Amino acid sequence: MNIFRRMNRAGNKKPEPEMRPAAPEEQDVKPELSHTLNEFKDCADLVHQSLPDKGVHFIFIGHLIGLEAFAREITVPFENASPDDIAQVLGRSQYREIGDSKTLIKDILDGSVAIFHDGRAYAINLCKPETRSIQQSETEAVINGPHDSFNESAITNLSLIRRRVKSAQLKIARLEVGEVTKTEVYVLYIVGIANMEYVNEMSRRIQNIEVDAVHDGNMLVQIIDDQPNSVFPLFPTTERVDSAVSRLTAGRILVVMDGSPSVISAPASFFEFFSSPDDYYQRWMLGTGLRILRFAALIVTITFTALYVAVTTFHYEMIPEDLLLTLTESRSKVPFPPIYEALLMELTIELLREAGARLPTKIGQTIGIVGGIVIGQAAVQAGLTSNILIIAVASSAIASFVIPSYVMSASIRLIRFGLIIMSGMLGVLGLMMSLALIIIHLSGLTSLKSSYLTPVAPNKLSDWKDIFVRAPFWMLRTRPTQSKSPNKVKNKMRE
Amino acid sequence: MKEKLHHFHVAILIYMIQNGVIIMSLPRLVAQNFGYNGWIALIGLSLVATLNIFLISLVHRFGGGRSIFKLFEDVLPQFLLYPLYAFLTCIWALTGCLVAKNYVYIFQILSYNTTNAIYLMLLIAVLVFLFVIKGIYNLSKATTAFFWLSQWMILLLLFYFKDFEWARMTPFLFAGETHILEGGLSVFSAFLGYELYLLLIPYVDNYKKTMKAVMIGNLLTTFAYVAISIICFGFYSFEQLKHMAYPVLDLLSYIQLPFIERIESLLFGFLVFTTIITTGLYMWSAKETMHRILPKAGEKLLAFLIIGAALAVSWIPDTLSKVQQWLQFLSYSEIAVAFVLPLLLLAILLVRKGARP
Repeated sequence: MNIFRRMNRAGNKKPEPEMRPAAPEEQDVKPELSHTLNEFKDCADLVHQSLPDKGVHFIFIGHLIGLEAFAREITVPFENASPDDIAQVLGRSQYREIGDSKTLIKDILDGSVAIFHDGRAYAINLCKPETRSIQQSETEAVINGPHDSFNESAITNLSLIRRRVKSAQLKIARLEVGEVTKTEVYVLYIVGIANMEYVNEMSRRIQNIEVDAVHDGNMLVQIIDDQPNSVFPLFPTTERVDSAVSRLTAGRILVVMDGSPSVISAPASFFEFFSSPDDYYQRWMLGTGLRILRFAALIVTITFTALYVAVTTFHYEMIPEDLLLTLTESRSKVPFPPIYEALLMELTIELLREAGARLPTKIGQTIGIVGGIVIGQAAVQAGLTSNILIIAVASSAIASFVIPSYVMSASIRLIRFGLIIMSGMLGVLGLMMSLALIIIHLSGLTSLKSSYLTPVAPNKLSDWKDIFVRAPFWMLRTRPTQSKSPNKVKNKMRE
Repeated sequence: MKEKLHHFHVAILIYMIQNGVIIMSLPRLVAQNFGYNGWIALIGLSLVATLNIFLISLVHRFGGGRSIFKLFEDVLPQFLLYPLYAFLTCIWALTGCLVAKNYVYIFQILSYNTTNAIYLMLLIAVLVFLFVIKGIYNLSKATTAFFWLSQWMILLLLFYFKDFEWARMTPFLFAGETHILEGGLSVFSAFLGYELYLLLIPYVDNYKKTMKAVMIGNLLTTFAYVAISIICFGFYSFEQLKHMAYPVLDLLSYIQLPFIERIESLLFGFLVFTTIITTGLYMWSAKETMHRILPKAGEKLLAFLIIGAALAVSWIPDTLSKVQQWLQFLSYSEIAVAFVLPLLLLAILLVRKGARP
């Protein structure tokens, strides 16, 4: 763990990445046309246009620029101006004079048009790259509530958030990660609600990242979290705007990364991964029922198959007589011990899930049907497994998909294998020991230095009404304790 | 700033250290040693424990929240200190380890009769090691999670109301064959665990709140013990109770659900949580004490060595009855430690106060 941290975290002396741009760019040199063109040598997408009679040159990357804005800000004013008026045009506030070459190159890469005139350089940002339109999230679909979700453009994502939080207190800090990719990362927080210690800690972690490229929010999250070697996700990511905004107003911090639809929120607790925006869009009793169902699903997914293995290997006395007859009959044809039987079935389910996830929807459906027949009927008839195990495995697989966070659900499915193996080796004692190990591990985890097991340990009973149940809104008066918000009361509604 | 333990967690911690496998045989011990309605004696023993907690809280108060090791080191010379520390380390490490071994041996009565106990003990030792190296703050967090995961079992007592008969309680009090002193000591060992408050002093702030928390922890334990004992006294006949090795275990085997029955192995499995906590906290105490002798040794290394050594020594008693004999001896020593240590510390504080101009 420490080795990994040392790679990424603050203040360590790391050899310079090989792909660093050439040395001259690092120096503070005055921007010149020839130098800029030289820097972009062999870049086929660079566009160089000029108005020779007026002594103006434009350099930009064609596909990053909005054509309409280019016509409005470049074509019309410069073509209509006489050579003497060019300086006057460039005096307008939208054209920024750039003093050093490094900044100018960076601006061009960010979607600006560089204008050279009379030995001086100017830039105007006309960035309008092609992006995916705002669509519904496929991984976090809800029945009620807003359906728009983030896409890969940070600017679009920021605008989606801004539209919902019309407050000047929503602050956005811009940072960069990736020595080569220079990906923009924005840290969002609401002044007066978010705890500045968390904001500073998050910004510090992002600034200290030293890797060549970060490709997605889910990748960034693993670099900045507290314990990279834990199987559990420590910061939730969401594609849903309403979910992100609700976290923001709860005093959490958001991290929006350009090129990724996954927005990170921090700090978070283990139990937060079991809530869904749906809970708030339904009557509170339904919301509460759903929450309880999800925690029941957690217990089912972790223990069901393991308990089957434990009972059928070590504790036959626990099965009532009537059920025992059915079970013995069903198991009589199976030549393997229950642990092999269970692992085989669990592995098949995982294969089906992975195959279904990678294939196009139509083929995915076929895989589902074929898989269903294979694991459902054929495996039993072939004497590879018992009926009751199929029910146990299927219930725990279905239960794992009840967990709204895909990452958490995947982590839990993985640890389930450990529990099955331990149960096969030591029965219920093995199962309990595995659970103890998980709890010991969880108790040591932190999310942005705050306890991952909040509000259970440290115990914050007042937060339970928005974690294990979804209390009516008039009862949800305070922000979560984990946010350590300077403004604790969020709601002064009365019954 | 160093994080302090909240008094809620202190209460849970003390409750969970006190609770353990002994609960399975406690009603029998009470019946054998205190006779009819012997469960009432538990309240008296709980009061003794409360008195002891008060004594420890005086050390907390007059010592100004300083660690007991610092208090000792200010006064005692090294040639006295080291043997004392070594003695405490041994007592705590062995108690912790034998509590786990006792659990394993009792479990082997139910299941895993052919599994080698070394195998089970090693697994518990690994868990305890991982638990201890987390430090006291994370240790208390894990304890709170274990508490919620295991203490719902107390609700199972509701199952027995149907078969409970007040007539079995009889109007006699402490009648029949009794062993008040010897039996009192062995039953009192069920309350042990609160004395580790001595080591928690530097990790808590307000002495009044902490004292209350420890007392509440002890009260919860008393409640659980009394409730379970009353149920056993009303469920079994007195003679039956006296002759059952683990009446609570048998009590659990009565529970029947439509799809599962004889769940005593499953429920006894949950006690691995309290066993890990009791063993873990004793090991942690041993490690903290050893750290004073070897201040330069790494915490993980110390924990590893202590758990390893305790595991090796605990191998000598090789049957359940021998383990229980050892445990009895250790619990007598532990009772002595629980009373003598705070008295000694109070004496040191008084001497220091007197010596001050």
